[in-house]
Amino acid sequence: MPVKSSFHDQENIFSFWPRHNETILKRLESKDAWLSTRRGTEVSRVKDALEHEMTLNIGPQHPATHGVLRCMVKLDGELIEKCVLDIGYLHRGVEKLAESKTYQEFMPYTDRMDYLAPYANNVAWCMAVEKLANVEIPERAQWIRMIMCELARISSHLLWLGVGLMDAGAVSVFLWTFQGREDLYSIFDEVSGARFTVSHSRIGGLATDLSSKAIDMIRDFAIRYEEVIKGWQKLLNRNRIWIDRNKDVGTVSADEAIALGLTGSNLRGSGVPYDIRTFEPYLKYDEVDFIIPLREEGDCLARYHIRVEEMLESIKIIHQCLDRLPEGPIRADDAKKTYPSKNEVYYSMEGMIHDFMYTETGIAPPEGAAAYHAIESPKGELGFYLESDGTGCPWRARINAPSFTNLQGLESMMEGHPVADIVVLIGSIDPVMGEADK
Amino acid sequence: MADSLNFHFTPVDKARPDEENLHAKASTDVTDVIQAIQEQFPEAITEVVVYAGERTIFIAGEVFLEVCTALKEELGFTYLVDLAGVDRFQEEAPRYEVYYCFVNLQKGKRLRIKVRVEEDDAVLPSITGLFKAADWNERECFDMLGIRFEGHPDLRRMFMPEDFEYHPQRKEFPLLGIPGSLPLPPRTPEGELTMDPFAAAHSGSPAKSYQEPAENDEN
Amino acid sequence: MDSATGYLTTTVDAVVNWARSNSLMPMPMGLACCAIEMMAFGGPKYDVGRFGSEAMRFSPRQADLMIVAGWCSYKMAHAIRRVWDQMADPKWCIAMGACASSGGMHRCYGVVQGIDNFMPVDVYIPGCPPRPEAVIHALMDIQEKVRNEYSIAKDYASGPKKSAVEPMNLEILTSDGRTTVGGV
Ligand code: SF4
Repeated sequence: MPVKSSFHDQENIFSFWPRHNETILKRLESKDAWLSTRRGTEVSRVKDALEHEMTLNIGPQHPATHGVLRCMVKLDGELIEKCVLDIGYLHRGVEKLAESKTYQEFMPYTDRMDYLAPYANNVAWCMAVEKLANVEIPERAQWIRMIMCELARISSHLLWLGVGLMDAGAVSVFLWTFQGREDLYSIFDEVSGARFTVSHSRIGGLATDLSSKAIDMIRDFAIRYEEVIKGWQKLLNRNRIWIDRNKDVGTVSADEAIALGLTGSNLRGSGVPYDIRTFEPYLKYDEVDFIIPLREEGDCLARYHIRVEEMLESIKIIHQCLDRLPEGPIRADDAKKTYPSKNEVYYSMEGMIHDFMYTETGIAPPEGAAAYHAIESPKGELGFYLESDGTGCPWRARINAPSFTNLQGLESMMEGHPVADIVVLIGSIDPVMGEADK
Repeated sequence: MADSLNFHFTPVDKARPDEENLHAKASTDVTDVIQAIQEQFPEAITEVVVYAGERTIFIAGEVFLEVCTALKEELGFTYLVDLAGVDRFQEEAPRYEVYYCFVNLQKGKRLRIKVRVEEDDAVLPSITGLFKAADWNERECFDMLGIRFEGHPDLRRMFMPEDFEYHPQRKEFPLLGIPGSLPLPPRTPEGELTMDPFAAAHSGSPAKSYQEPAENDEN
Repeated sequence: MDSATGYLTTTVDAVVNWARSNSLMPMPMGLACCAIEMMAFGGPKYDVGRFGSEAMRFSPRQADLMIVAGWCSYKMAHAIRRVWDQMADPKWCIAMGACASSGGMHRCYGVVQGIDNFMPVDVYIPGCPPRPEAVIHALMDIQEKVRNEYSIAKDYASGPKKSAVEPMNLEILTSDGRTTVGGV
């Protein structure tokens, strides 16, 4: 078969997808090296180009790329002159899948997008559908959602901290942060029965109420980890190695960050106070007291500070939510729009039928409805844009994934830095490929 | 006959723009922006659809780039949040729509505009010159729906490999893909590419990582 | 075992397999969400070091057990196969999670419906994601498999009774000086 020889060339290890590689290389060649324009001169060329210029491929399988990101970099000596990112190694087409699922059926897929903080994704999806179909959420459910979203934020930032430090050479912190994640897992396990793919939120409320044990566990976690996170701050805030690796690396000014479309901590690290929790308050975020950490430097260190401070703010929010948690139902009582409670399903015929109908057809927003709802996920603005055609499946479900938008800024951030900074930069952007690749 | 069989389990409601939405946000009220656009480009807005307190503004393709310039430079919508294509898949003329979501960070406003794109001539002007953030999103839109963006510096596929020929988000593309459009790696190190996506189910014997000796090996 | 003289007799295969099975070095092919559970499996609570597999090797040349954790797209499949081909024999493979085993919930155009369509798999783990206990169970199954395989003296590739191979002569030091023990 003639395909084979060109496709799997034994000489060149990255020769699969020949046309794909060709276009990437072509792009790398034709890309404008802004580095040379910035310096005002041509990048110095020594005669023997082989010794000083190199094209390096990192990924898609590389431990420092946090998944399956692929970077093609052109090096001048040790400096990255140009960089082309290639994503899509996890592409499965969730947007297409959503078009053939009912609204409730699609929710488990959102767990698998940003798998470091699945609860936030569940809530984002449910709230988008609730906006589209105009469903009311009971008070208690809103507060519980907030608690769980903040726990999800902590769990995502914990992994980022551990892995980021591991990339920079400190393995022990990974073990500590993972211990923290294990504590969070046991909370999620208690609440929903799964360690992290929770699928606990429902359209119009929640699947189950928090048990008193779960509330105790959350409170205990919030109390203990305030100290622990402050301890990590003590370890890292003045750590020479950590600061040297991060300071002035990947600096983005506020205007640049807006132009590049960065979101979340990466945007706030550059001094733009854009956080959906205050920009368009959802749930009860306008009723709790918290601050949004902001830095002006725009480098990796600023992003580090912001994320760690965000964890402390999350703990503050959790405490307030637990104190103010009202009694009441956890799911709206409307058989056309939400699942009936389990008691109803088991003991009444109507409940049974409603349950069946809801699983079969589900909620059907009006024809021609379109809505966009965003929440502040740990990575940034996570928005769903839904269009309905009046049936139980969305006509179009668009996912505005924060990792995708953030990764796009990485390309220009990398240029001009030594190759060793790649790992730190990828870590500080905090991408999750499952989400970026959709 | 066919009509009489055409029933729905759920009655299809029509969207009611006047209905008060519980989740509507103050930030999506952009009547002043619509007015400003109308004053500057009287022909630009073809339609405004209101739902859940959000306004979808349909802009004519010819003046689209000028409207975007005005949005950015005069009306303060400097932050592009999202850009994506929608396949309407209808009989009437414009098949695709591309939607843009802009944010005004100073005033705290969110704006959604839409442009209709014809099927046979699926080309739109690229806004990467104005909003750098549109770069990957436009590539994604091209990959998924096949809409070309004129003036984009680097219109490659975003997710699918370049060797792939289809645009998967189009409604006519089957969910499970087209068998043989993407090759799988060979099942043995020296083997040939597998074009069958369900090779394991069809071939019967699973691939082995080692070579088993022949039955009557005399050596 | 003879306690008076201080030596034990066994087959080379048994010793080698015992050593191999208790020091499997995984190559974590962490693709998606299952990779997070794989980290937990290597992390402090589940501590796979108890089974001798805590040394995750990101270079395929140093690893002998590949754990494919996550859904595998067509685009990525070629990279996975390439990494698998680079691993030195003998090698084993675990398909972790529903996605790697069968495509799982991602039944759509981008995802390979089970990695066994292009590479051999020894153990499949069901679950979405499998809990770390299940991964440990799979690891124990692999160990079981390794212990029951032919290894040095009887190689799969050459068959059980290959006379062309010289019998191995082992020298074993015993308490009364050097003794040569015949072939195994
Ligand atoms: S099996 Fe489930 S958890 Fe594992 S990769 Fe697939 S979707 Fe993710």
